[in-house]
Amino acid sequence: MRSVLCFGDSNTHGQMPGGTPLDRFNPFERWPGVLRRELGPDWYVIEEGLSGRTTVHDDPIEGALKNGRTYLRPCLMSHAMLDLVIIMLGTNDLKRRFNQPPSEVAMGIGCLVHDIKELAPGPGGSVPEIMIVAPPPMQDDIKEWESIFSGAQPKSRKLALEFEIIADSLEVHFFDAGSVIETDPSDGFHINKEAHEGLGVALAREVEAIGWLNEV
Amino acid sequence: MPDMRFAPPNPIRIADRASGLNAVSVRSYNERLVLSLLLQNDGISRMEIGQRTGLSAQTISVIVRSLEKEGLVATGKAQKSRMGPPTIPLSLNPAGAYSVGISVGYKQTNVVLIDFVGSVRFHTTLPNPEPDPAINQTEFLETIKAAIGALPANTHDRIAGIGLALPEDQYELAHAPNGALERYESLREEIEAHIGIDVYVQNDITAAAGAENLFGAAKPLTDYLFCYLGARLHSRLVINHQIFNSQSTQSFDVGLLNLEARLQATGLEADVIWERSADWPDLGPAENDWQNACVAQIAQSTNALKQFVDVKTIVLSSYAPHKVCQNICDQLDDMLPDVTAIAGTLELSPKAVGAASLPFSSKFMVE
Repeated sequence: MRSVLCFGDSNTHGQMPGGTPLDRFNPFERWPGVLRRELGPDWYVIEEGLSGRTTVHDDPIEGALKNGRTYLRPCLMSHAMLDLVIIMLGTNDLKRRFNQPPSEVAMGIGCLVHDIKELAPGPGGSVPEIMIVAPPPMQDDIKEWESIFSGAQPKSRKLALEFEIIADSLEVHFFDAGSVIETDPSDGFHINKEAHEGLGVALAREVEAIGWLNEV
Repeated sequence: MPDMRFAPPNPIRIADRASGLNAVSVRSYNERLVLSLLLQNDGISRMEIGQRTGLSAQTISVIVRSLEKEGLVATGKAQKSRMGPPTIPLSLNPAGAYSVGISVGYKQTNVVLIDFVGSVRFHTTLPNPEPDPAINQTEFLETIKAAIGALPANTHDRIAGIGLALPEDQYELAHAPNGALERYESLREEIEAHIGIDVYVQNDITAAAGAENLFGAAKPLTDYLFCYLGARLHSRLVINHQIFNSQSTQSFDVGLLNLEARLQATGLEADVIWERSADWPDLGPAENDWQNACVAQIAQSTNALKQFVDVKTIVLSSYAPHKVCQNICDQLDDMLPDVTAIAGTLELSPKAVGAASLPFSSKFMVE
């Protein structure tokens, strides 16, 4: 059986648009659940989505626990061996408090890729396949989140290109979620049930396209 | 020492995403490897590319995505497989790149425009360039422009280049007017100056071999004897897809010139044999005699070559009618039981198609 780790933020956690981290789509509705259904019994799909997770920043407000980089290493060790790691992060790095341009967010993603390669939690201590997924762009109207994310909307539209540049440089897989789904207008940056379904199906096809030998 | 992992990203493949083709200098060996594989094997999957090249899945993923964005590669519909996950076939996008090919022949010049998978989109013939440019240079250049004009203007940036196949056979050139060879040699500069597209030059027989190799009957073959039946009979040895480009100018007088002489000796009109893509009328015993001589020469060459290389296949390329080539191949099969003779599939102008493949080889393929 092959293992895939889905490492992300609230949109991997399955937080409902306009809701709180406790308002969560059920395990079959969230994109990792859709991915599990689509990939079938040969795959073990591990969900690791935390609301507010950043790529590499300790959040001065929400706490150091939101730092994706410090959590990733023990997380990889807990779930080794892994055949594939999917990372979909970046939206929270665009919060006003971090003051980051899209290129720096991509650099943060790059750090996570380097950490995975260094730890090599793949079969036999190899580097697993790594897929960077650019989150779908935010809507212009992000309701009461405007103050927290002020100025993030145009940056969010540039994440896909910056992430692809990093993916090309580091030679890892890349997928632009914005090519298949949109964020929900009720809060402007979370994805709804239909988008979870669409993303899970699209990612399953991407995972299959990598090509996997039959013996598992 | 700085940690180079965190230096600015250096994405050599992503380049300009607006449109058009990447510059030659940035096309990596691995990209060429993938494109060459796709040309040989339409519809293979990313995993098969990995198995054949030894490249990692992630490297292939990056290369294929970039080639897809450039419009050079197209992804097909997922194919369900009985075992394991569905596979996604990849192929070259025919409209991803174009090329013009010009071959100066014994009687006339052929001009073609081909797409990325070798389909001829435009073909015409015109008189060979005269030693004095004043006579027909304008017609020559206008024909090249017409070939380019066969494409919509917004795809002109997808023209990889112009290939020029030139004759080197001394017997054939002996029939050309004085000063013709010098004129041919200056064509490259003339075309580049007037059309403004890079020109690649190659020996015409090697070009024809390249055409059958890339796009024609020889595509699935790795080792074979290539025979070109033109005014004379020429050969090239192909081993592991590589055309052995010797300096040998040996050719044999069993080609169309020989047939022409035989027909004229019996008082028959011979013009029809130089016309392309038309079946010949019944030419009587002269044709049979010529065919036997041609078959005997190819068989003799093959047997001589067998001392050194275990030739299993002969590919016969020509602009003579397919039926004539097939007859010669059938006779060869009878005469050489352990050899298979295959008639080429590029009937219009193998040399010009081969010339057109030169810019593709130079810009997109591995040697």
